[in-house]
Amino acid sequence: MRFVGYVIGCISLCCFVGQLRAQEPAVPFNPQELIFEHLGDEYGWSIWNRSIPLPVIVRSDTGKWYLFSSARLDGGKTFNGFYIAPDGDYAGKVVGRDGDGKEYRPWDLSMTKNVLALFICAFVLCWLLFPLVCWYKRKPYDAPRRMKGMIEVTVGMLYQEMIVPMLGKEAKRFAPYLLTLFFFILVMNLMGLLVIFPGGANLAGNISITLVLAVCTFVVVNVSGRKAYWKDIFWPEVPTWLKFPVPMMPVIELFGVFTKPIALMIRLFANMLGGHLITLVLISLIFIFAAMGQVVAGATTVISVVFAVFMEIIDILICFIQAYVFMMLSTIFIVLARPEKVKE
Amino acid sequence: MALFKPEFGLVFWMLVVFLIILAILAKYAWPVIIRSIEQRAEFIDQGVKYTREAKQRLEEVEVQVQQLLADARKKQLESLQETERMRQELIENARKQASVEAEKLMQDAHLSIEQAKREAELQIRKQVGHLSLEIAEKLLRQDLSQDVAQVELIGKMLDELESKN
Repeated sequence: MRFVGYVIGCISLCCFVGQLRAQEPAVPFNPQELIFEHLGDEYGWSIWNRSIPLPVIVRSDTGKWYLFSSARLDGGKTFNGFYIAPDGDYAGKVVGRDGDGKEYRPWDLSMTKNVLALFICAFVLCWLLFPLVCWYKRKPYDAPRRMKGMIEVTVGMLYQEMIVPMLGKEAKRFAPYLLTLFFFILVMNLMGLLVIFPGGANLAGNISITLVLAVCTFVVVNVSGRKAYWKDIFWPEVPTWLKFPVPMMPVIELFGVFTKPIALMIRLFANMLGGHLITLVLISLIFIFAAMGQVVAGATTVISVVFAVFMEIIDILICFIQAYVFMMLSTIFIVLARPEKVKE
Repeated sequence: MALFKPEFGLVFWMLVVFLIILAILAKYAWPVIIRSIEQRAEFIDQGVKYTREAKQRLEEVEVQVQQLLADARKKQLESLQETERMRQELIENARKQASVEAEKLMQDAHLSIEQAKREAELQIRKQVGHLSLEIAEKLLRQDLSQDVAQVELIGKMLDELESKN
């Protein structure tokens, strides 16, 4: 009976909200704009209807560096000749005007919302890991509990079930990179699922972030590649006419060297973006249907919220899986680049 | 679309943050965590191994103890039997010795009795001879003790008497 009461209460509340929304003056609701605003970056971190000002760091075309608060640009204001472009190629970015009065994009190293979120993620990662390190230093043979235990189980699973079986003796050398990769992506993903301030930034769903991660893996793989790996690329064991005089196979292999990290980059980006996108679309549905009267809006609210919660729960799983996959593929690429000498 | 274009500023900061966090964690966190996990796993493995060995040894020792106990019991039994046998032997020996001694004593006694008897007989004979001669003297009113023939005669007569008895 209680449960039924909750459900009726929720539905009536939703109808009420729907009614409120329906009675507001008709502002055309643009879901695309809203969604991309949520997924994208911004110069200040807006919470509710306020904005945390963050530093904007730009280099003008004259080579001069400027550092000022993002609050000075709020609401389309201009500061030192810089303003946030309302539309055009650089919509939403800081732009300036050069001597000819033409709009240009300065070098922009601003601490945007995503950058702050990155710092927060790094901090959270330290906050998760260093208590465990301290624990080990204090009680080397005791099993840690709670959060520390959870971290230890995860590290143990990744290290002993994946890195060591794959890399063998070299596990110790690559483990720090791979584990950092995994935990950093995991923390970024999970922080992205939180809706308000410390989280909520769409980090792993931003191609700049995944690009850096993929480049790191690319560098690690190719720097640690052995002679056999390079030989396989430039002189693979195929019939000679496939590699000379027209180097068909080497070109394909070389192409493969670059597609691997690109696939990594796109995979993580698309998965995390997709998760955020679905939730945002489901929530946007409420406001799209709000124009159709109370009952439709109420029903849509219930359905949307149920689906959104469901998607969020699946997203938690995806957060883990994507971090795991990224790390596992990085491990595999490293292993492939360091083939053991095969005995005949 | 802005989302699909890498942003230079963000790439730069991401690189900085990621490299710094990688350096920090690779230096201070991961080696400690991995080493500790491995050490503890080894510690636990060794503990289990040690316990297993200890248990095995305990079982072995138990078997040994049982063996020892059985041996001791057997030895005890044997020694008891030995003692019994020795006792019997001792008694037997003593008995034998005692009987030998007794026999010897008896023989000695016999001998001395015989001796005494013989001496007594001789005494008696002498006495009887003497008496007879005295009687005959009395009868004959004559001294016959100097007459060797008479003494011989008496001896002869006594011999006859003895042989009759």
